[in-house]
Amino acid sequence: MGIKIVPRYGKSFKDKLYLPAIFAGMKTTMSHFAKNLSDTSNIKTECYPEMKPQDITQRYRGVHRLTHRDDGSVRCVACFMCATACPADCIFIEGKERRDGIDEKMPAVFKIDLLECVFCGGCVEACPCDAIRMDTGIFSFVAKRRKDFVLDKEQLLAHKSFEGEK
Amino acid sequence: MATITVDGKEIYANDNALLIEELLANGINIPHFCYHPSLGKDGNCRMCMVEIEGKKRPQIACDTPVKDGMIIRTKGENIARVKRQILELELINHPVDCPICDQAGECSLQNYYMDVGLYDSRLDTAKNKKRKHVDLGANVMLDQDRCVLCTRCVRFTKNITKTHELGVVVRNDHSYISTFPGTKLSNPYAMNVIDLCPVGALTSKDFRFHQRVWFLKPEVAICDGCSRGCSLLVDHNKEKYKDDVVYRYRPKFNKNVNGYFICDYGRLSYKKENENRLLNAYIRGMESEFEYAILKIERLLKRYGPKTLFLVSPTLSLEEIYRVRTLAHKLDAAINGFDDNFDEDFKDDMLRQSDKTPNRKTLKFLAINDSKEDLLRDLKGKEFVLLIGRDDIQIIKEMGYDGSIGVMNYRDFKEKEKIDIVIPIVSHTSRQGTFINCDNYMQFSSCEIQKNIQALKVLEFVETILNDGRVTCEDVWEGGLEDEEFLGDIKFTQIKSNSMKIGR
Ligand code: SF4
Ligand code: SF4
Ligand code: SF4
Ligand code: SF4
Ligand code: FES
Repeated sequence: MGIKIVPRYGKSFKDKLYLPAIFAGMKTTMSHFAKNLSDTSNIKTECYPEMKPQDITQRYRGVHRLTHRDDGSVRCVACFMCATACPADCIFIEGKERRDGIDEKMPAVFKIDLLECVFCGGCVEACPCDAIRMDTGIFSFVAKRRKDFVLDKEQLLAHKSFEGEK
Repeated sequence: MATITVDGKEIYANDNALLIEELLANGINIPHFCYHPSLGKDGNCRMCMVEIEGKKRPQIACDTPVKDGMIIRTKGENIARVKRQILELELINHPVDCPICDQAGECSLQNYYMDVGLYDSRLDTAKNKKRKHVDLGANVMLDQDRCVLCTRCVRFTKNITKTHELGVVVRNDHSYISTFPGTKLSNPYAMNVIDLCPVGALTSKDFRFHQRVWFLKPEVAICDGCSRGCSLLVDHNKEKYKDDVVYRYRPKFNKNVNGYFICDYGRLSYKKENENRLLNAYIRGMESEFEYAILKIERLLKRYGPKTLFLVSPTLSLEEIYRVRTLAHKLDAAINGFDDNFDEDFKDDMLRQSDKTPNRKTLKFLAINDSKEDLLRDLKGKEFVLLIGRDDIQIIKEMGYDGSIGVMNYRDFKEKEKIDIVIPIVSHTSRQGTFINCDNYMQFSSCEIQKNIQALKVLEFVETILNDGRVTCEDVWEGGLEDEEFLGDIKFTQIKSNSMKIGR
């Protein structure tokens, strides 16, 4: 087996020193510290859960969703790459023949057990089809019964990205 | 004998044999698509290039005879460049849809490309599109896009089955594999083309999309479909929160028994390991506790003693039949192995045999009666018949028997209320054992899949009564079976790893 090597970024001398990056970071921290200390009324603490955070970044890993193709159908081809990559072994897929002519294979069952998931994002990285994402912005998932934490294909497909895209 | 040097290492090879054969036999990795030991060389894929000293250009190893003193290089930048170029050509029209391809994980093209591929395509013209998922018949699906035109499948139907269903049609890079118009692939060995196809162009309709191959765990067993007893690889997997499931059988190479192939009937017989299993013990049709049922059957054996008949199935292993015979002798009871599971239409001149049980020869070697007349005689005066590995009670009913009956089998069946006691036993791939095929070849089936169902092993059952601590095949061999005359000098350690022919 061969390995395909993807080029890495951050190879310059400055990047390798680390210290400039550390000081740049400390500068941000200290400036917030000084600002908050001088004006306590504007501190960015929110009263969660009454107030929900609005500043979720693009890279935040929330609950998963299954994405759609342009024609609105499921994008996933049940290749099991995500299930193979998943360290928690919490993705349960059953493949089936797809008969609508768009593709050959699709998932009959696609379940993620959120209680077992460690939100590592490995599944998103592994997917060759961009069919699974963790950009729903859903960061707290509450349910009363164990089995309600196991999301099925329909639930995952119904989730939207926090920017509203399907 | 010739001495050749491969990558600086000397190896001994047969004079005039094909170079690729000798290299593969010495564990040297030579990529190849069109060559297959059962089909011979064809020289069309050019994947097997090696450098031979004294030759200007790289040569194909599959069409070069071995000569003494040859110096060969299979590695290095030169040869890697050649392979990379061949693979680049191979991939010009290939769809590279590995995510939905069932072959991914056991695909030669994928493996070779990961070894020496170019990785980044230089192509900006559209690919030739052909037909995907063409149902060829006989459970074989063809994807013309993925085909590398090695013609292994064509040569299989031409040279091996001689049914000539497949051919290459149209010229140059529009060529594809097809059946002749209006015909389908249909022969009892058709599914072997799925294993022969080095890429995902031919896949099994039966296995397709049920499991990715890298999850499967292969185990060695023998087919119990007929008395040929082909060597098998049993691919099974236990998914999280589910029971262990057998997903497919594949042929395992065995030069004495089945060569590289198995028949489709045998290949699909894996289904009986998963479906329609007997899951409970029953006493007169009522579900019973497993342990209680075992105690009950022990009591019945004690009560009836010499009035018992053990009716064993020729699907049981040598060890199992031997132990039941020991038990029968101890109780002074009778033992019989009559079974009329023959099908003359099933027999052909490749592998399939009319005797559809895998171990009838064992009955002969162990001198156990197996004719109808013997059974009629053995039944006389019996009050308890215990069927082991079978549920065909009509055989004894038709002979007028109406005493107590016990059944130990893996398969569910109807009318359990007519039977005094029913106990589930493990199925063929869940216990180890030795089998003797129609040509007296003895093989060991080592596959022992742990299923999450309550089922008894016959060896354990006999041990609970005889109480001599012999529960594994090894114990049984060492505890007397090895002394059987027909086995000659064969020891358990030998049979474990090799198939062996036994006397007569
Ligand atoms: S986020 Fe990580 S643990 Fe969770 S499903 Fe994906 S791969 Fe598995
Ligand atoms: S989500 Fe992506 S990686 Fe997972 S099975 Fe579907 S296509 Fe494959
Ligand atoms: S279908 Fe498979 S075996 Fe047949 S020619 Fe194509 S690649 Fe070779
Ligand atoms: S020929 Fe007989 S033993 Fe071989 S695979 Fe077919 S049924 Fe099984
Ligand atoms: S294997 Fe030698 S040319 Fe195909």
